[in-house]
Amino acid sequence: MRKFIYPVLAAVLMVGSAFTIKLSQDWKVNDDYTIKFTSKDPSGVFSGLKGTVIFDDKDLATSKFDVTVDASTINTGNGMKNTHAKSEKWFDTDKFTLIKFISKEITASGAGYQVKGTLEIHGVAKEVSLPFAFQKTDTGGLFTSSFPINRLDYNINTAEPDHGASVLTVDLSIPVTKP
Amino acid sequence: MIKKIFILSICVGIFSFTACMVYDRVYHFALETDFSRIINPATLAGLNVLISLLAGILYWILWRLFNINSTFIFRILFMMTSFGAILIPLSASLPFDIKNPELFPGFAIPMLFFPIVGWFTLEPFFLLKKQTSIK
Repeated sequence: MRKFIYPVLAAVLMVGSAFTIKLSQDWKVNDDYTIKFTSKDPSGVFSGLKGTVIFDDKDLATSKFDVTVDASTINTGNGMKNTHAKSEKWFDTDKFTLIKFISKEITASGAGYQVKGTLEIHGVAKEVSLPFAFQKTDTGGLFTSSFPINRLDYNINTAEPDHGASVLTVDLSIPVTKP
Repeated sequence: MIKKIFILSICVGIFSFTACMVYDRVYHFALETDFSRIINPATLAGLNVLISLLAGILYWILWRLFNINSTFIFRILFMMTSFGAILIPLSASLPFDIKNPELFPGFAIPMLFFPIVGWFTLEPFFLLKKQTSIK
């Protein structure tokens, strides 16, 4: 009988430990997302969003965003402006291909949430706190966010601070589904 | 005279519209672009007829004002306007969901010159009857 003690104990521990593991809520980003920036001049969109979105409104501690956007996908609606935006003066997309955001902490804030993390644009990483909202839908959910961003903080065409707007409003609408 | 100018204008409109449609199809298949939300057959027809009629009105006004020199002045003005109009597609901001906006000027700019090409092509049949021979 004693010889079964250890295997049974091991089995009990294994089964018990399985209950301690929390399943993270991963989300798959749908293709119809929009990353829009608006200002007096210019305005446009980015595509090329990739990364990991883990979010559970009941467990914010394990929630995490680790996403990138391909800066070369900028579309202002005008070919010359696009070329200009990708050039060394602005995003320098040959050198700094990706815009990165990695979250550190997500907290509830009023009806929505606040995410603190590192936003890296044009090779300049800054700690930011961004508001966002999450709305559950039948098939998944929808993340929305709107926040201002100053291009001069990220050394984007600092030589010409008055060329186009320096502060732009970024609007995100990211529908997600359960994978 | 006004009847000849009117018929010429309509013919130029039809000519340039046809040329635009051919170029539209060639560009679409060659570069796999789709700007039909901005420029479609109805837009092309309307614009070409409008431009050629405006050109006809300008020709008639210049003919009334300057008579013998009107053709020369008209051609210069028409050419300058066509060149100046290049700025329109170059500076246009398309809806953000239209892909490859950098290909739009290559699509639209040649079309700006089809009315003047049409005018130069068809004008001799309607307005220029006397031809100076070089001895």
